[in-house]
Amino acid sequence: MIEAIELRRTYRTTTGVIRRRPLDVEAVRGVSFCVERGELFGLLGPNGAGKTTTIKMLITLLLPTSGQARVLGCDVVENAREVRKRIGYVFGGDRGLYERLSAYDNLRYFAELYGVSGQKQRARIDEVLELVGLAGREKERVEGYSRGMRQRLHIARGILHDPEVVFLDEPTIGVDPVGARGLRQTIADLVAAGKTVLLTTHYMFEADALCDRIAVIAKGEIVGEGTPAELKARVVEGRVTEIEVFGADQVTVERVRALEGVTAVAVENRDQKQILVVQATGERELTAPILAVLNGVEVVRVSSREPTLEDAYVALVGGE
Amino acid sequence: MTRWLRVFFVGGVIAYRGLFNWIRPAMYIPTMLGSPLFQLIFFTKLGQYAHAQSRDFYVVGNSVQVCAMSSLYGMTMSVANERWFGTLGPLLASPANRAAVFLGRGLPVLANGLLVSAFTFGAGVLLLGFRPGLGALPALALILVITVASCTGLGMLLGSIGLRAKDVFFASNLAYFLMLLFCGVNIPLDVLPSWMSLVGRCLPLTHGIAAARDVAAGAPLSQVAGLVWTEAGVAAAYALAGFVSFRWLEHASRRSAVLDTY
Repeated sequence: MIEAIELRRTYRTTTGVIRRRPLDVEAVRGVSFCVERGELFGLLGPNGAGKTTTIKMLITLLLPTSGQARVLGCDVVENAREVRKRIGYVFGGDRGLYERLSAYDNLRYFAELYGVSGQKQRARIDEVLELVGLAGREKERVEGYSRGMRQRLHIARGILHDPEVVFLDEPTIGVDPVGARGLRQTIADLVAAGKTVLLTTHYMFEADALCDRIAVIAKGEIVGEGTPAELKARVVEGRVTEIEVFGADQVTVERVRALEGVTAVAVENRDQKQILVVQATGERELTAPILAVLNGVEVVRVSSREPTLEDAYVALVGGE
Repeated sequence: MTRWLRVFFVGGVIAYRGLFNWIRPAMYIPTMLGSPLFQLIFFTKLGQYAHAQSRDFYVVGNSVQVCAMSSLYGMTMSVANERWFGTLGPLLASPANRAAVFLGRGLPVLANGLLVSAFTFGAGVLLLGFRPGLGALPALALILVITVASCTGLGMLLGSIGLRAKDVFFASNLAYFLMLLFCGVNIPLDVLPSWMSLVGRCLPLTHGIAAARDVAAGAPLSQVAGLVWTEAGVAAAYALAGFVSFRWLEHASRRSAVLDTY
């Protein structure tokens, strides 16, 4: 359904104020993956990893610098119009809607753009409004909508013409937990209805809960791919130790990182406290060596747990 | 073909409602009706005070020129605001025919431009004693439609530039006042320096205003056919330039990411 083969995208920008020099930025560096029919495929990565650039190439908004991509068998460069007819895409955020129009008119406009016939429009718009939970609010102007409602409207617009493939670019970003849960249910409903979905998200639990397969992208390259379980097993075979401390400096963190068997260390700051998340290979017991390295640092709590997808993600993208 | 027409007519009207900033009465009345009214009165009274040209010269010139309030600003908003609302990405990712999308936005702008001009002509009749012959009205209406279309063509060009340039309303302001000066609205073209007159002849309005003045003075339409056809040619040229610019920017955006589509 979706096939990316060695996709690359380079942006040309300039640097310097007086003497401007051209600078090539490689946003995507040879990304390849394949999404099967009816699958929910996740693209995970930190900011600037190349997720949105990859999606923009797949939905025909950007031309690849090199490589190939096909959606539903159609080349995204050679046959862009056919691709556009058969896909829907949704992006996160407040913008992207006609603020002064009602939700109904927003959908009506896009129904016209996607060639939904006049006779079918009303029924189809009612159907998608019901699906995303906006039925009854469709006559209100979008400028009065909450972020969650806007995001629902984005999804309604993306699926209005009943596309076979839906691209969702961080659809739950900035949405409150209850709203995000509702949106995740809507995404799950899309897959249950037979849609093929490509989803980008920052939220690991979201990817873990929703995605059939995931590709982790970092610095424009895919650094890991598989089911959530495979990724967890492949990247973090051993244990994860969490140590809550006060006042661990960078030198101390580097000392923990240098311990034998440690594959990644992430530092999370919470008020005055720091939480060191230490990943290690095998079943090696690391508590004692870590505490030895932390000599002089106030340790509040030490715990050990099973690896999560987030641990796998941190290990793959290099602790960023 | 039905889809094309639906995008052109229905899509054009919905997009206009969504993108035209001054559509609410509180904004529409002062900007689209108030400003043209005061412009008409100001230049007519100034001209009468200076004994420069006849009252009808100013009434016709300004009543036609004020369509630019809709044609320039309205059209610029109808295209360039896609960038500000962040709706350009979804629009360009759709399979809709670009000519229908782009040109369809001109239709409500044209209708609004006609309304503004008709209102200003009406004010000229009621407040300034402008009295064209009843027989001249159909020809005057035809000339007005073509002239407003021509001005809307320039608005399309500015709007498409606005997809790329951040402050395109500066250009719309400039164009509005340049047209006031260069198009024979308040100063006859033969009084202007030759280069200004030449620029004026390449702009919308100039030939339309000249034709409207002749018709209002009693000339038959056949006598001004050359001026009317020239204005129609100017309309087509600017609309085409606007569409070509829009398509070029769309292609450049895919190639070089020049448009902020998100």
